[in-house]
Amino acid sequence: MNAPTPPPTVDVNALYAGYDHLDPPIGPDGTPCAYFEEFRDAQIATKQPVGRSEKHGGFWVVTGFPECEQIIKDVDGFSSAGVIFPKYAVTEPLMLAEQDEPDHMRARRLVNVSFMPRSVQQYGDEVMRSVHELMDGFIEDGKADVGRILADPIPAIVTALIMGLPAEDGPLFDYWTSAITHEFLNDPKAAQPKIEQMYAYFEKNIARRKVEGGTDVLSSVINAEVDGDRLTHRELLGFSTVLLIGGIENSAKLIGSALWRLGWDVELRRRLIRHPERMASTVDELLRYYSPGTIGRIVRRETTIAGHTMKVGDQVMLALPIANRDPREFPNPDAFITDRTNNRHLALGTGLHVCLGGHLIRMEARLVISEFLKRIPEYEIDASAPLKWTTGQVGGMSRVPIRFKPGKPRGAERGKGVDAWLRHATRP
Amino acid sequence: MPKVIFIDPEGVEHHVDALVGQSLMRAAVDSQVPGIEAMCGGNCICATCHAYIEDDRLVTLAPPDATERDMLECTSEPRPNSRLCCQVPMTEALDGLVVRVAASQH
Repeated sequence: MNAPTPPPTVDVNALYAGYDHLDPPIGPDGTPCAYFEEFRDAQIATKQPVGRSEKHGGFWVVTGFPECEQIIKDVDGFSSAGVIFPKYAVTEPLMLAEQDEPDHMRARRLVNVSFMPRSVQQYGDEVMRSVHELMDGFIEDGKADVGRILADPIPAIVTALIMGLPAEDGPLFDYWTSAITHEFLNDPKAAQPKIEQMYAYFEKNIARRKVEGGTDVLSSVINAEVDGDRLTHRELLGFSTVLLIGGIENSAKLIGSALWRLGWDVELRRRLIRHPERMASTVDELLRYYSPGTIGRIVRRETTIAGHTMKVGDQVMLALPIANRDPREFPNPDAFITDRTNNRHLALGTGLHVCLGGHLIRMEARLVISEFLKRIPEYEIDASAPLKWTTGQVGGMSRVPIRFKPGKPRGAERGKGVDAWLRHATRP
Repeated sequence: MPKVIFIDPEGVEHHVDALVGQSLMRAAVDSQVPGIEAMCGGNCICATCHAYIEDDRLVTLAPPDATERDMLECTSEPRPNSRLCCQVPMTEALDGLVVRVAASQH
């Protein structure tokens, strides 16, 4: 009789040492999910939810759900100044995201109501219209990269609308956002002029609003007084940058990952078509399963978590995609459950810094998926074209080539935003 | 210990113990009442603990402040008896309070 196989020895310290939130290993399915699951298994088996990475000069890595939640909620012990690590190459302060109390809440109150459910619902019609116009552009072809032509454009079009910027500038926003969030790491020289171009663009738009006023979110920030003071020019540039990046990155990656998943998970796709009432909980399960973002903090009060003492000034990264697979919080965490209850995932943060655009990203994902499936209920991933998971502090499926039975365009007149995207996306 | 009766979006009643001084939100979250998401953890910034106070004692509650009022107006389905559960502290006098969780927090 054979002896039972001993459990494999897990070197969890090696996993922590090699952890790079900007560059997780991609598995054969094209995603880092298997890596996240393996890391989670090691973390649970060894009861070590905290470890030390040697990348980027060294930082703490937190992979456990309760430990991540504790740190996010402890705004006195952990500063949001470390939310992005390594820091983006922007010269103006990243308002909201990098601010601590009480400055953060003062700034947040200026824009908070504009992102509440009823406020974001007013953009729903524009999302649906844009989805159909974009689909008209490729539905006769029987194939498309829905990462590039649906997941990327929709958040940029909506962000333009919210900020009161021209819809046709969407491709530019995408270009600047990539420069700030990705390109600066590998090619800072190439990224810098793009960031400067973005600031110049906002300078112009801010100046115009100071003269003409407006009802968009950018105008309300410009004209708002906080404790009797207006925001400074630099703060306004920082606010604009945050609204732009925040509006685009997470949504685009979430929608891309969703359309990819629905391309091969036929059962999930058909279940969703049969049960549209499960769309809302499915979007939250997508957020948990494909958590686009990781966030960081800087220790500002010495704290011991899971036996590790974090010293003042230390950088901490919260591995949200791993924490969101923690069986201590989520029963059966590797199963994709469309009607998961009490899905308290941390994909959009929690506590005081909970994502400003949380209602918006859910609305966009819900509408894009449901409108897309109405016209293309059956499709598959096109294995002959490249699939791409974009890594970085916000990651997700960004190139999603699909094939389907060609359909007929609805023939509605194209809006300027959609038109700009279709021209942009067909460029070589 | 006073109780709160939460009716979740599916219509299921949850009889929940609440500590005096604790918010309705905290009582709901501690008992895992479905539909109360409370993403911001009680800071009146996310509006994901929206509920309707279906009880005559609504008038005895301290009215919502300006921030809560602004938030309530922007929930997906505001009604005159809307409240954010994180802004309503529990008291002995509220024992048996009936609170219907909003159908959607988004």
